[in-house]
Formats: sequence, structure tokens, C-alpha cells
Amino acid sequence: MSDYQVVIIGGGATGVGILRDLSMRGVSALLLEQGDLAHGTSSRFHGLLHSGARYAVKDPESATECIDENLILKKIAPHCISNTGGWFVQTQDDPPDYVEQWIKACAEAHIPIREISPSEAYRKEPLMSKSVLRVFEVPDATVDGFKIVWANAKSARRYGGQYKTYHQVERLVMEKERVVGVVTKNLLNGEEIMVGCDIVVNAAGAWASLVAGSIDIPLDVICDKGTLLAFNQRLFQRVINRLRPSGDGDIFVPHETITILGTTSQFVDSPQENDPNEEEVKKLLQIGEQVLPNLTKYRVIRAFSGVRPLHREDHDVPGVNVPGINKEEGRNVSRSFVLIDHGVHNGVQGFISIVGGKFTTYRLMAEKVSDWVAEKLGNMTPCRTATEDLLPEIPENLWKKAAQLLPYAPVGKMLERLQEDTESVLGEIQRDPRKGQMLCECEMVSMAEVEKTAADEDTHHLADIRRKTRLGMGTCQGAYCTYRALPLLWKRQEKYDAIEDELRDFLNQRWKGIRPILWGQQLRETELTRAIYASILQVRG
Amino acid sequence: MSFEPNKAENLDACIKCSACTALCPVAAVNPLFPGPKILGPDAERFRLEGLQIGTTLLNYCSKCKTCEITCPSGVKITEMITRAQEDAKISGGGKTLQFSIRDYLFGRAEYLGRLAMISPNLTNVLLKAPPVRKILAQVLGISSEAPLPAYNPKFKGTETGRQSKKQVVYFPGCFVTYNDPPTGQAIVKVLEHNGYEVIVPSFHCCGTPLEGNGYLNEAKEIAKKNLALMDPFMRAGIPLITGCTSCGLALKECPSFEEPESELQTYDLFEFLWQLHEQNELRENFNEVQVSLGYHASCHLKAQGIGTPSVRLLRLIPGVQVAELDQGCCGLSGSYGFKKEKYNTAMQIGNPLFNRVRQGVASGEFQSVITECGGCQVQIRHGSGIKTEHPIWVLMQAYGLN
Repeated sequence: MSDYQVVIIGGGATGVGILRDLSMRGVSALLLEQGDLAHGTSSRFHGLLHSGARYAVKDPESATECIDENLILKKIAPHCISNTGGWFVQTQDDPPDYVEQWIKACAEAHIPIREISPSEAYRKEPLMSKSVLRVFEVPDATVDGFKIVWANAKSARRYGGQYKTYHQVERLVMEKERVVGVVTKNLLNGEEIMVGCDIVVNAAGAWASLVAGSIDIPLDVICDKGTLLAFNQRLFQRVINRLRPSGDGDIFVPHETITILGTTSQFVDSPQENDPNEEEVKKLLQIGEQVLPNLTKYRVIRAFSGVRPLHREDHDVPGVNVPGINKEEGRNVSRSFVLIDHGVHNGVQGFISIVGGKFTTYRLMAEKVSDWVAEKLGNMTPCRTATEDLLPEIPENLWKKAAQLLPYAPVGKMLERLQEDTESVLGEIQRDPRKGQMLCECEMVSMAEVEKTAADEDTHHLADIRRKTRLGMGTCQGAYCTYRALPLLWKRQEKYDAIEDELRDFLNQRWKGIRPILWGQQLRETELTRAIYASILQVRG
Repeated sequence: MSFEPNKAENLDACIKCSACTALCPVAAVNPLFPGPKILGPDAERFRLEGLQIGTTLLNYCSKCKTCEITCPSGVKITEMITRAQEDAKISGGGKTLQFSIRDYLFGRAEYLGRLAMISPNLTNVLLKAPPVRKILAQVLGISSEAPLPAYNPKFKGTETGRQSKKQVVYFPGCFVTYNDPPTGQAIVKVLEHNGYEVIVPSFHCCGTPLEGNGYLNEAKEIAKKNLALMDPFMRAGIPLITGCTSCGLALKECPSFEEPESELQTYDLFEFLWQLHEQNELRENFNEVQVSLGYHASCHLKAQGIGTPSVRLLRLIPGVQVAELDQGCCGLSGSYGFKKEKYNTAMQIGNPLFNRVRQGVASGEFQSVITECGGCQVQIRHGSGIKTEHPIWVLMQAYGLN
């Protein structure tokens, strides 16, 4: 007997997108995620909502998908997107013959571009190199991975969809030539449960081949590590792309309070290999300098890496031959996605994998998967995710109340994060105004918001609070908010690891990203952090 | 919001230690004021994202600059707050119309002074009349209890007329020019007594009141005008001296004085006199002056980072006893404490100082108070009832000039 019609494996953007889409169609679905939602690739990228212009020359299909999805997401999820616009800038180091090719390709993909004069560009972006040759405006935007993943999960829940985090899939359960369920282990208490279902969707991204491998189905997913740098503040007001074939360090993205410079590309053996290293950092800075002179003067608060799951099936897509770019590098693998029906390919019914793709097209990927699933289930309800708003509108009175109770906080961000929980958090601040103080001052997260998030049933570690609120992601990288948050975890200690373990784990996660960028102001900050934790609080290890 | 490379670097320097907020006089007495760290570098990262936050609270910063002198990383916190205040004003947020008009007027101390000069006596009578103060409070939001300083016939420094090879340029500032000309004349006399010809061009306001009321761009414009007046003297290597610590800070921070050698030419009066002392060029044949004084160091003197040269100098005078009060800000901060919504905050900030002054006088430790800042003088007199004046008057006595 089936517990659900569908089990979705993987709580990244694609997985929650599928959960929402199916739930909206009335299909009962459960999503299983081995960690926290968006802990993997969906939060470990530059936060760019592609206009498609990046792919126009080499991968026109991806480019068209991107521009279509770009316009859809701006409409249905404006609260997760900052419509910054973007530029493609040609520097003296970029190949001159690429420009005309790119202009033509953008036109073919229906990506609107507009050339602007370098002098206008310098006025709008004073930190940009004064030696850029040409500048084109494109409809790039930025998207908050955490926010959009949680918005999808919350929306799915409103439609009856369910998800379990910290549930690792141990194996798929087969009956004859058919998948009939999954065995999943609750990583928090070690319990194994069997969930019966009609269809299993493998949306595990970089982990997808491990899932398929549990029933000996080979799935060729390449793990392509990309490292990025987070600068302390917004250095640019809009996305700045290099006008040249894709390469390392070719994009600056102003993301929330920071600027992200990315990325590198390197094949790795497993999705766990996401440690940024010093060589990658140096390389990024060196290339970034061509667009932002004296780049090393500006403070980098951390480096981080994500693992792109690329599908190799069509690895012979002809890449543009750029000197210095190895054919085997990730950029020459198609960024388009593939839906693999294992009934057709491997003779296993009721099992489908979605691999490849990119964040910008997560909704389209979810739609394609859901269409396939719905057809199998005989569900005729059409997809509505392209038109229905992701987040219910925030009532005007909540805005006003929030602004009154938190007179110096960016309350819009809080409302977007908390959504339907806003009212209870504001009520708490009204009862006890001290809870309106900022527990995380860098990213301005109030004590009441942290307390509420710490109590959420799907929050299990301090890092989960970080992903939901941005706590610890700002300038000080957890120097002050880590110890301030601990008493709030203590109040719910049955849910968390031992408090000292939560503290150490969180600091060590921060340290992982700080270690490769230890110089200048962030070194001073880190010394201060070390003094607080290693000296005053005597934390070891 | 646009920004420049050095501003970006300056914001990067903040390591979130909170030393600025720990020492902020406003945050200490007003629990609703989140302090310079949050309104300055913390909020700045959001402002760069295009979000205007805490606009009303920005106006509660008194611009005392304690945060800037406290910051171990050299972050220009007050400047960040003032710029944000100005940006908020341009986009129409943050202030009621009443407060906007009042702050517009308070920012223009020079023009208010000129207006008062039509008839200083009449102005003083009006400013003391309770019905007038009631109207000022209701119409302009100026506290009816605020110690608005009296006006006096305008300071005319140019008529002193002594000629010498040793020259200084004197910047009197609005307080001396319109409220306290005798102090200006005393400063000129002391400099002349030391063999200097004192040149007083017709300077404009230093810009501090504009900055304090959130008009940073205008403050910079006015600084340029003053700079033009100073230019020939600066080129001739003639030092610029002021006895007002806020004018002094503004002149030293003047954005156009970026060449270090021209900055070195700007002195606080007692900083200059102390330098003469160190070079054995100060006349030190002082008369004995039997007096005990409490000394209050103004915030803008502290922000200059030159210590307390007037205390050092007065201690050279036989008979003079100086006790440093060391009780922080007086609370007034220019026109801040005159505003009705801030009057109580200003008085609370000054309370420890007022108590110290009253106790010191009651116990016979000292008889009166000295401080260079005209605003502090007004506020200390108002808060403690004790005579407070510029330290130049002690020097006048020691030289037998009064």
C-alpha cells in the first residue's frame, strides 16, 4: 500500500519545486532531504537569475529556457528576486571577435540587450574599471536561493505537500521491475522507515547517482566544484558579466548585503568535496581585478564552494574553443537538464531522475517532471506554477506594525523570510520589546525571529537557523551572534545536539570559508572571534 | 546610492566590536536609540542595497563624534550617519515638516546671527519672553526650556590692526561672532600680546551646524568658500587658529585639506599656544592667579585627538588649579539639545557632568568651570547654574590684560 503517490528525493530548488507543483495538482507527495533544505548546490551558487545571455552563443537552448524562466520568476516570486539588471562588459582582456557573435545569439534567443556608453557605465558603477570597451545591459537579476527554496516548501505545505529534512534515503524498494517505495533513515535519531509510493523522483542533484546506484542504475552525473568569494558589501549595484566565453571569475553578483564573485570549475569525485582553497581564491581575485581594479583592497568575508551536478550524456556539445580552457572542464558540458525515465532506459518502472540544469530553470524542470508524473498517475490538472504567485501578499498592516516595532530593521526582509509566521513574531516583540533587538546585527535578525526559527519543528541545528534567517552570514561571520543564539537553542535542547557541539560545529563551518581568505580586515575580525571563543569562552577544537 | 572607493574601504574596516555604541552618550540614556554601530556601518550595508532604514532614528545622533574617536578601526561613523540622514531627507523621509524647517534654520547659525544683528537687544528680549518661547516650541519645535544663547553686537576682529612679521589668521566662528564677541577680542589680545598680527577675514560659518542638522553637502560647499578666503594665507604659510573646538574640528576635517602640510597649519588656540611654549616662544611672565577651576573637555576637542592643551597651559600659571571633570558629553551638541524632542535626552546626557560640577563647587574643590566650546558653556551653566567660560579668560588675567 502506498503512503504517498510520489516520493521526491532531494530538497534543493528542483525538489521543492516539484513538491509544490505536484501538491498544486492535488498529487500527494513527500520530499525527503538528507540535510536541511537548500543546504547543497541550491544555496552554494552566485545567486544569479540568468537572463540567458551567458549561454546565448554556446548553448542556445539553455539561453531560451533562461530568459523565459527569468521573466516568469520575476513575476511569480518578486520577493525572492532583486531586479538589479545586469551588464556584459568587454574589457581589453576579452576576445574582440566574440561581441558580434554574442549580439547575434542574444537576438536569436530573444534576449533583449541594450548597449550603453562606457561613460554612463562609469557613472553608475564607480568602482568598475575605467578601461572597459563596451557595455551591454541585459535583464539579469539576483535570486536568493534560501528564500526561494523555503518559499516553495511553505507554499507546497499550504497545498498539502510534506517534507522531511535530515532523512537520508538508504535504498529504493523494488517489487518485480517496479520501484514501490524508499527506505529512509532519520539522521537525527537513527530510525529507519519505509515509505511506500507509486513513483520515486530522484532530484538529488549532485547526489543523484548515489540514489540511482542503490538499485544499480548507472547515472552519469559529473560533480563540478565551483568556488565563489563573498565581499563584505555591495560593490556593484547590478550583475557584471564578462563579455567573453564562460570562464573562471567572470561574474560579480550583488546579492543581498554582499557581492559574490564567481566562479571556478573543477571536477571532483563527490558532492562532499566542497572546500574552497587558496589557489581558487587567488585565481578569482586575479581575474576579478580586470573588472574591479584594486579588488584586493576590498574585504572578502568568506569563500564558499558548491558542486554543480552536470549531466554527461551529451558531453560532446561543441564548446567554444577558448585557449586555456580544458575540454574536460565543466563549462563544456551542457547546462541544460535531462529527464531520465528509468523505465525506458533501465527497465525499472516508477522511477525518474532529473539531472543537470541550473537554478534559473528549476521551475521549468519541476514542471517537466510533474507533467511526466501526472501523466503516469492519470492526473489531468495542468501546471499552474508559471502563473500563481509563490508567496501570498503581505498585508499592509503587518508592514506597518513591523516598521513600528522594529524601527531600524530592514523589515521587508524579515516579512519575506517569515511569511505566515510574521504575526506571531511581531506579537512576541510587542509582549517583550527586548526581543526586538538584533541578535545578528550584521544581517539584522531580531532575537524574536531567531527564537521562533529555533523552535520550528524543521530546525535541527544552528546552521538551519542560518539558512532560514541569514544569521551569521554577515561581516562578523558569527563572532557575536553564535554565542547569543545558544540560549535560544538551550530552551529547546531536546531538538539540538549538545549546546557545545552546536557551537563548535557552527564556528567550524564558518571557519571553513574564512580560512582561505585570511588577510586584511577579515583577519582582524577572525582574531577578535578567536579571542572571544578560544580565550574568553575556552572553546576547544 | 552611489559610493566611492575610499568609502567602501572605510566601511570594510568595521570589525563590529561595538566600542562606538558602548561609549555613545545618546545610546547610554535613550534605550530606543540603537547606537552608532547599527545606524552607521551595520545599516550602511543595507543602504547600499537601496534600503532606507531607521531614518527617524538617524536624527537622534547628536554628531558629538565620540564614536569616531573611539573606533579602533578609523571608521567614519558620524559621517556615514550624516550622509544617510541627508539621503533620507532628499528622498523625503525621516522628518516632519516642522522639524525640517527648524533643522534648516538651526543649520544656518550664520544667517540666524546676521538676522539677530539687526537688533541684538530686541532679539534677546524676544528670546527670553515666555510667550515667544511658547510660540517657538509650538511652531518650530524648539524646547521652551532650552538655554538659547543671548546675542551681542557683532565681533569685529579686523579693527584690531596691529602689524607684525609674525602673523596668524583667526577663525572666530559663529558663537564668538554673534553671541560672545568679548571672548574673541580676548583671544586676539592674547595672540597680539605674544607678538602676532591677527588677521580676521570675513569667514563664513565652519559648517558644523549644517552637518549637525544633516546638510553635509552644504557644509562642504561652505567649507570651500572659507577655503578660498584662507587660500592666500595658507600659501604664505600663515597658521589658522580658532578658539572654538567645533570650528577647529571642522577646519581640520575640511575635505579639501587633503594635503597633509595644509592640515598642519590649522590649530586649536591652545594647541598653538602650547606649541609656542614648547618652542620657548610663549610669553610666560604670568601674574599669579589664585583660582581653582573645573575643566570640561568638549567632544569635538576630544575628536581632534590633541589631548587637553588648555589644561597643560593653564597649569603653567602660578596659582591656577585645574581639575579635569572627565564626565563625558554635556549633551547639548550644538543645537541638538535645543530641540524639544531631544531636550530631555540632552539633559540626561549632561547630568553626570552637572552633578560633578555642583559637587565640585559645593565641596570647594573649584569655583567655576572652563571649557573652550561655547555650546558646552551654555549647557553647563543651564544644567548646573555654575559660571562657565572660555579658558582664555584665565590667560587674560595671568597676562594682566583684562
